[in-house]
Amino acid sequence: MSTCCEGTPRLNWRPGDVVIALAGNPNSGKTTIFNALTGLRQKVANYPGVTVEKKTGRCPLGGGQCALIIDLPGTYSLISRSLDETVAMEVLRGMRADTPVPDVVVVVVDASNLQRNLYLVSQLVELGRPMVVALNMMDIAQRRGLRISPERLSRELGVPVVPVVGHKRQGIDELKRAIQYARISPLPEWDLPREMQEELLVVGGALAILDDNEPLPKNLAGVGFRIPCCADLAGGTHVCPPDNCRAAQARLQRYTAVAERLLVGDRAADMGDVAGRDPVASLLRAAESRLSAHGIDAMQADIEAHYRWIEGVAAQSLTPACEDLLPMESGIVGEQTMTLDGPSEAHQPEDARITGQTLAYAPPTTHASEQVDQVFLHKIWGMVCFVAIMATLFVSIFWLAQPLMDATKAGVTWVGELVTPLLPVGPVRDLWSQGIVAGVGGVVVFVPQIAILFAFLAMLEDSGYLARAAFLMDRILSKVGLNGKSFIPLLSSFACAIPGIMAARTIENRRERLATIFVAPFMSCSARLPVYGLLIGAFFGAYSALVQGGILLSMYLIGITAAAGTAWLFKLGGEKEAASSFILELPTYKIPQWSQVLRAVYTNTKAFIMKAGTIIVCLSVVLWALMYYPRLSEQQIAEAEAGAKTSFVGTNVDFKPGISLERMAEIRAKMHEKDMQEAVEQNRKNKETSVAAEQLRQSTAGRFGHLIEPVIKPLGFDWKMGVGLVGAFAAREVFVSTMGIVYSVGAEDENTAPLEQQMAADKSADGRPVWTPLVAISLLIWFVLAMQCMSTLAIVRRETGSWKWPVLMLVYMNALAWVVCFSVYQVGSRLI
Amino acid sequence: MKHQKTADGIGLDHLQVGQHGRVVSVSGEPDLRRRLLEMGFTPGAQVEVIRRAPLGDPIEFGLRGYHLSLRADQARHVRMQTP
Repeated sequence: MSTCCEGTPRLNWRPGDVVIALAGNPNSGKTTIFNALTGLRQKVANYPGVTVEKKTGRCPLGGGQCALIIDLPGTYSLISRSLDETVAMEVLRGMRADTPVPDVVVVVVDASNLQRNLYLVSQLVELGRPMVVALNMMDIAQRRGLRISPERLSRELGVPVVPVVGHKRQGIDELKRAIQYARISPLPEWDLPREMQEELLVVGGALAILDDNEPLPKNLAGVGFRIPCCADLAGGTHVCPPDNCRAAQARLQRYTAVAERLLVGDRAADMGDVAGRDPVASLLRAAESRLSAHGIDAMQADIEAHYRWIEGVAAQSLTPACEDLLPMESGIVGEQTMTLDGPSEAHQPEDARITGQTLAYAPPTTHASEQVDQVFLHKIWGMVCFVAIMATLFVSIFWLAQPLMDATKAGVTWVGELVTPLLPVGPVRDLWSQGIVAGVGGVVVFVPQIAILFAFLAMLEDSGYLARAAFLMDRILSKVGLNGKSFIPLLSSFACAIPGIMAARTIENRRERLATIFVAPFMSCSARLPVYGLLIGAFFGAYSALVQGGILLSMYLIGITAAAGTAWLFKLGGEKEAASSFILELPTYKIPQWSQVLRAVYTNTKAFIMKAGTIIVCLSVVLWALMYYPRLSEQQIAEAEAGAKTSFVGTNVDFKPGISLERMAEIRAKMHEKDMQEAVEQNRKNKETSVAAEQLRQSTAGRFGHLIEPVIKPLGFDWKMGVGLVGAFAAREVFVSTMGIVYSVGAEDENTAPLEQQMAADKSADGRPVWTPLVAISLLIWFVLAMQCMSTLAIVRRETGSWKWPVLMLVYMNALAWVVCFSVYQVGSRLI
Repeated sequence: MKHQKTADGIGLDHLQVGQHGRVVSVSGEPDLRRRLLEMGFTPGAQVEVIRRAPLGDPIEFGLRGYHLSLRADQARHVRMQTP
């Protein structure tokens, strides 16, 4: 039993595995159950061709058997609108070649939100696959006074129902055992209008006749009402042999089920294009017009029938004692539910069906949750809390992380210095200390920030607050052509645009999703922070912390303003597409679970370190090589050394009366000796600096810096900054280490005073300082607005499926940055 | 005019905070209509207006034991009958 699942890094499906699809509504606690089932035996990838996350994991079931668990994206319905839902539906229908057809569907149902969750269950029933229900959040339901009986629900559905408390791992073993008892839920008789049943029979019958190898879907349970046979027409006696009749009924069942899917507007890929072509298309049109003559809309009638069934099932699943807790209309008769202890009656949907328009209206949330919202969504306090929470988030990212970042930096330096002496002098040692340690180290120091940000985001998400934030922000964001749901992606982008851009998947409207992706890089990510820190420290260090903080804050505000303006342009220029919508569930508040928060931190930090360990190592090596080669010749080195400025020995010791001449000479000699040593040391340093600077000037990167200098000169930048900007394209934070190399101070102490002082002291050919506060401001704005991140472009390519968007993004952002920096520098230099 | 009761009932966006009623019909684009129906706004369902967002829109509703927010522009497609 332990042999099959342990130590398997690749979680591929193996023959003999039970394939389980884990389905459920968003917010149903599906991920918690997936984690509880699979532990760390997980693999996260993407479904090929689309960006929907494909999470699979293995789980021992006992008795030597193993399960491959496919965690489907959370979905409200099997008739898909978003990419996530399409994938879930396709896996469940066995339409994806990359995913094995599930043997069992485990559907997670939030007991505290039973009716809406049962809607998905009602669609899964129609699918006709063996099913198990994991009844989650029983604790919340109980606190709310909803005593749901899993036994009763099991009897209603005809499948095993296992109560679980995902975050406490309660019921997980029972759930595993129940998988062996998965059953196909008997198809209920949907309460469809008689006219619609007739139309379905007509269309279904026609499809049966027309069936000329059309790509009609398979794996359907049939249609949810009884198909008549010859006995119905002949007054109860079979005219033909009963076996024939049954075969014909079964055949018609399947075709009628297809007809139902076509009529209610399900255009999933397994339908092919049947619905769009004659004769089926005209058949459907005719049926629709006949139905509308009766005032029936097939889609609505279907959903209504499902909900009527759900209301019955939900009502029958309550423990009798608490039925008075649900204020219901008179439709449900108490005695009826009381008699349902006998197992035989339980499956009869007729018993469960409620006549009339009755509907349970349970108190929507627990009292506590509602009280929290009275503050968090209050007209004034809601906004105050929102600002306070966001402020706390930023304060923690920038101040809480600081000691951890310093420690990380010290650690990186220590490792670098530990290894450096072991390497042979020359390119290998330089590659290590200037390329890899400087490049990767510069990135790894952000790990504490990333970890804190993701911890915060996970806590906010787990608690249910992020949905509230989207609710609060929707009005503002929709004004500029975004959506309340853009809030989470944009917030994440303050850490890194990559997870932010990926989080935009939840936005249904295509234009809003693209706009969100497009503006996400304007949010100042954590990689810009060291650049801001370096420049503000170097040029505004003399001002108070308040001024420095103000400059930092304005950088964030400039980014946000640019994002708003760009989104607004998107709104103006965008093609008119489907109307924008904001349909968002506001889940009950929950206390965040540490295990989930830590898991989110672990996964995201790991991904970040992996990126640092792969892409950034390669880019650092490439950049280092560009700055290192071609090497100077002996002659060039000699010339550079000759050109270095020479320090002279200062011998002017003041004559002080009362000191003997001998003593004076003694002091002078001593000082002279010390000065001489210093001067020699200084001259050696000057020569080294001069050689290094010349080396950089002649390197590939240096030449490129000179090449682009005319373009960046109007912005106030010189060729050295050009080299830095090229370096920043690999990753923005590389700018700092590049400037470190450019200014020939050891890459290890990149953030210490010498670099800042060297930068401030740097003079151009005509003797004016290269760096002025205005240049620094211009460069800061450049870093806010310019697109300088290859990883972001790569992810935008993946998420949008074309090169059009990343290219447009690159051109637009850099053009915008150029124009703004040009205006700032040109106007500024005339004013000053 | 605002609270005019027609045969089709009044738009869900016109209900006051704290008011509740029953769904009479759902209109709108097929996609929106399907989503609203699937989220539980079926004719007969009881819906309560919980609150409006601080800036007036979107609106939070309670139905079928859970909370959902919609923009007024979407909520108006749900026609309501108030007691």
